[in-house]
Amino acid sequence: MQKTVGYKKIIDWLKADHKKPFDFQKEAWEYYLNGYSGIVNAPTGFGKTFSLFLAVVIEGINLDEKTKRKGKDRLQLIWITPLRSLAKDIARAMREVLAELDLEWEVAVRNGDTTSNEKLQQKKSMPEVLLITPESLHLLLAQKGSSTLFQNLKCIVADEWHELLGSKRGVLVELAISRIKGLQAKTGHPHLRVWGISATIGNIEEALDVIAPDEKEKRTIVKAQLNKKIQIKSVLPDDIETLPWAGHLGLKLAYKLLPIIKKSKTTLIFINTRGQSEMWYQHLLNIEPELAGRIAIHHGSIDYELRNWIEDSLHTGLLKAVIATSSLDLGVDFKPVDTVVQVGSPKGVARFLQRAGRSGHSPGETSKIYFLPTHALELVEAAAIKEAARENNIESREPVIMVFDTLVQYLVTLAIGDGFDEQQTYEEIKKTHAFKLLLPEEWTWLMQFITSGGSSLDAYQEFRKVVKDEGDGLWKVKSRQIAMRHRLHIGTIVSDAMLKVKFLSGGYIGMVEEYFVSKLKAGDSFTLAGRILEFVHIKDMTVIVRKSKQKKAISPSWLGGRLPLSSNLGMVLRKKYNEVLHKTHQDEELDVVYPLFLEQQARSHVPRNDELLIEVINNKEGFHLFAYPFEGRLVHEILAALVAYRLGKLIPITFSLAMNDYGFELLSDIEIPMDDAIAYEVFSPVNLTEDIKMSINATEMARRKFRDIACIAGLVFQGYPGKYVANRQLQSSAGLFFNVFSDYDKHNLLLRQAYDEVFYQQLEEPRLAAALHRIQESTIVITYPKRFTPLSFPIKVDSLRANMSSEELDQRIERMKAEVFK
Amino acid sequence: MTITIREEELILAKERAIYFPKQELLAISDLHLGKTAYFRQAGVQVPSTMANQDLQRLGQLIERYAPKTLLINGDMFHHKLNSDIEAFEQWKSQYQALQFILVKGNHDRLDEIHYQQLGIQLEDPSYCTANFCFIHDALHCNEENLYPISGHLHPGISIVGKAKQYLKFPCFYFGESYAIMPAFSAFTGLYMIKPKPGEGIFAITPNQVVAV
Repeated sequence: MQKTVGYKKIIDWLKADHKKPFDFQKEAWEYYLNGYSGIVNAPTGFGKTFSLFLAVVIEGINLDEKTKRKGKDRLQLIWITPLRSLAKDIARAMREVLAELDLEWEVAVRNGDTTSNEKLQQKKSMPEVLLITPESLHLLLAQKGSSTLFQNLKCIVADEWHELLGSKRGVLVELAISRIKGLQAKTGHPHLRVWGISATIGNIEEALDVIAPDEKEKRTIVKAQLNKKIQIKSVLPDDIETLPWAGHLGLKLAYKLLPIIKKSKTTLIFINTRGQSEMWYQHLLNIEPELAGRIAIHHGSIDYELRNWIEDSLHTGLLKAVIATSSLDLGVDFKPVDTVVQVGSPKGVARFLQRAGRSGHSPGETSKIYFLPTHALELVEAAAIKEAARENNIESREPVIMVFDTLVQYLVTLAIGDGFDEQQTYEEIKKTHAFKLLLPEEWTWLMQFITSGGSSLDAYQEFRKVVKDEGDGLWKVKSRQIAMRHRLHIGTIVSDAMLKVKFLSGGYIGMVEEYFVSKLKAGDSFTLAGRILEFVHIKDMTVIVRKSKQKKAISPSWLGGRLPLSSNLGMVLRKKYNEVLHKTHQDEELDVVYPLFLEQQARSHVPRNDELLIEVINNKEGFHLFAYPFEGRLVHEILAALVAYRLGKLIPITFSLAMNDYGFELLSDIEIPMDDAIAYEVFSPVNLTEDIKMSINATEMARRKFRDIACIAGLVFQGYPGKYVANRQLQSSAGLFFNVFSDYDKHNLLLRQAYDEVFYQQLEEPRLAAALHRIQESTIVITYPKRFTPLSFPIKVDSLRANMSSEELDQRIERMKAEVFK
Repeated sequence: MTITIREEELILAKERAIYFPKQELLAISDLHLGKTAYFRQAGVQVPSTMANQDLQRLGQLIERYAPKTLLINGDMFHHKLNSDIEAFEQWKSQYQALQFILVKGNHDRLDEIHYQQLGIQLEDPSYCTANFCFIHDALHCNEENLYPISGHLHPGISIVGKAKQYLKFPCFYFGESYAIMPAFSAFTGLYMIKPKPGEGIFAITPNQVVAV
């Protein structure tokens, strides 16, 4: 490599700038030029983009492809980014390099924000480098003539691969790669290499298996031996009384952020949900009016142009602070940002480090992150995160497999484009990590599903979707309407119906959920993008508003976004609980929280990490049982149902269940039987699978999962904000399809997928079993506090509630009839 | 379940129908025949056995009550003629003696000749008996002395108990000034209604009709 023209040119260029490549970059270039696929694992801010982009450039120069060609097959590099905001920045950096190298390569961005004019231009002549989201890549595959675009493609890079890996979007990437590889193989010139760029995750080898599944291929992992310095500091209350025992806003400590914002160049403030970020924005302006105009809010529901402006202002350092949600999580490189604040628990180590990496982006700089707790116990989480970060105890991302909904969508996508050959596509799909276990009969079912409607021909008369082209034998979609509707629904992110928000006088502000708007009356005010708006009316699927004169307003509650505590963090957290009372620690957070733990000890007990604490509290509300496994909300949801079911076998009893990330509560109107023997029995891993099936309403959970599946597979149409022309005759709901398939088509694979998702993703059975084994080896401590304790209180007031009953449906109705109904 | 409205007996069947013994009239609403086929034509996988099941259920009702008249209170056909409607024609041929009345609904937009050919008596906008006015949308009823019985809405009721317990069912609604029938077709969604005190709501559970 060292002797090639391209390499020399790059080194000279870097030298002129007094720079030289990092070892891992040189390593990546070398492997790439030798035909390897793989993963680059490097911390943010060390030029991981250049480790692969320059590799392709070096090869381009070596092959003398620098002269601009005409025609469709110029495409050299496809760069997949999970977020639209990333693409713009990376494109800018790439263009700068190409200009300085005097290379006439064109770099273009293609995603949901790309204008149709630009897309048309690209259709005529593809650029050399295309930055694209997984969804837009599939849209490209859905275009007629797209199969000729990839003949000279040298490399596909999946940026932020760890983000895509654990979701169906990762499967979209896998499928697109399999198609492009298949197209190149057919022409006899396979030269495609596939690379992922990933932050450190617990299962980096598996991440490689997903992006480059062929073990016979040349594959490698390039690791940067560089340590990003991270400084973590908690924003501590002056005394613990300041912090509430429960809650999630944390506004009480907001005043402590003002000096931090003041002394930093630019601060990013990460808030966990969009609704809360709106409230924080208002609050910061209220307590420091001087921030007006120098502070902005950035989340996924804010209009594209406004987001653009914010991102540009971040680059130029115009803004002092930006309140952000996960929309700014990923590798955007905002140079002026030198400080990051995390409000509330980030719930996972990886996410916290990722956000920390948004500051001090240049090599050698230190990332600075402040943790602002929203309630007292989060201080312990802060200490736990610091320790986990120090020990690089980072979560794994489980790859998604066997998602039939995504496969159904993909096949129709191909059928809309140039069509597909059944056998060839089957073989391509079998080579992906996601579908390597696909059985021939499942494939047959999938083909029947999109061609004749379902497994029995008779049951799906007049079905029309994908048909065989008698001319070339390829499967295609002939109906323009079906094709158009499918294009609108490519992708795997299913959100609630969103409506665009627009001023009466013109100008878009962002989007809100239809559900939220449906509760508004004319004259009501709400906040969006940091503004207080007055609702006027809905017209053409757009919410029309005017500026409100009110000072305060409700924030839309965007659904989703509440992530459970990761098991890595749970483990460290349990350990930290040991240390508080014994003062065997160096953490200032734990000193602050000490009085609270004394209170917990006085009222009940502080669980050690080899103990499970159960608190039994009786009051006028009823009989409560609290247990604290520290395994995250999802595991607790199942665990609570399991324990309720097993207790229900001892005596007939009905429970209401509640849970948070630390523990769960069972509430009943009769006394709950509990002693040591019972405790070990109800937390036993014996008969787990059977008891889970009996205890949870798997059907109800599967029905919820089916909502996304039905959208992705194209059964229901969710529509696009502002774009959708409603077809009333085709309106239906996922719940209806769930019933229909349950009653009339039991062997439907989409239905099976819904149950699989419940058992493997939601129930996390392995994690649950591990937790129960751990509990069996722990000492179970049962206390009988007179009042709620610091541990039980948050579950009481701030939790998600479900119910568990062994009564028959008719009995339940009879009983509930007596209660209030809405 | 049997209830009395305007001194006339009504039998509410869990198959989503009302039988009026005095008139020997069986009433259903929102049959939406052809909806499943319409979805299939548009590339959405809905089994056609569903439509058959609706007709089978209707057949059971006809056998149980042996009515003289079957009244469909609007939205009999979802869209256009298709295979579902051919199946209906065949099914109908076994009930030669039964009078079919359709009160026109917003979906019923076939040419009148098609209804004639199918042997269906078309009533627009309503069909009245001694006490009741059958009309698809109750808000359009002008019969001041009669009690309107409508469809159109696909009413459903959610029952919310303590500790956020939540159940959802299709229902019959009998209010002060009008009634709403549940949609007969199983391939329909529910519009949740919020009843006021004193209004009669009858939820349809898989096994029975219950007053709530």
